[in-house]
Amino acid sequence: MKIAVVGKGGSGKTSVSGVLARSFARSGHNVVGLDCDTNPNLGLSLGVGDLETERLLSLRDQIDEDEQKHAHTWDDILDAYGTDAPDGVRLTVVNRIDNPEPD
Amino acid sequence: MSAEQLLSSVPESDTVIVADLEAGIGTLTRLPEGSVDTTLVIVEPTPRSIDVGQRAVLVASERQQGRITVVANKVADGDDEARVRAAFNDHDVVIVPVDPVVTAADRKGASPMDVDPEAPAVNAIAGLASLLAETTGT
Repeated sequence: MKIAVVGKGGSGKTSVSGVLARSFARSGHNVVGLDCDTNPNLGLSLGVGDLETERLLSLRDQIDEDEQKHAHTWDDILDAYGTDAPDGVRLTVVNRIDNPEPD
Repeated sequence: MSAEQLLSSVPESDTVIVADLEAGIGTLTRLPEGSVDTTLVIVEPTPRSIDVGQRAVLVASERQQGRITVVANKVADGDDEARVRAAFNDHDVVIVPVDPVVTAADRKGASPMDVDPEAPAVNAIAGLASLLAETTGT
């Protein structure tokens, strides 16, 4: 199941996303959290902490650089550019945002 | 790879993917039709947030982004709930109460689940996960 979580900035969509992902994981599902926000904080809401959230951000540029050499598959992205969050959620970030909205 | 490319190219599997999109509706307007099974529209009970939510519902419907569920977040009382339900009367609305645990978690940079796994907002979101799993047969 692919779930898109949308809303105005400040609506609490990242907190909802993080708790939702862990709730699915606790009920036995295999779960991937995909942080597509221009201000990526899903790591914090999932409970991976500041340092790991920052490290993931630094990987976003790397994804772009590496993509010049070879196209990524979904599994590549999860393996090479993701991290393990509590309850078994795999978290990854998406790098390029073409036309970010300010709000 | 952009969020739009990635989400539309994920192989079919039993994995639950929770994609926290950028604030606003930009990604939703660029996402190829039918890329996701479910769109969750998160709104606070404020006019601006409801306005963005209504635009998101419109775009998600037009572009066939699966089942649409509205999450009324930070609901303090019956008036808040009624305001959101009235604005989205054609859609399922799930209520998540305003909860100091979520604010405390934000301040700590932690997950609300690790601050208090039995907090009212956490329980409401866990209920949302069960609802989505039931309605999609996941």
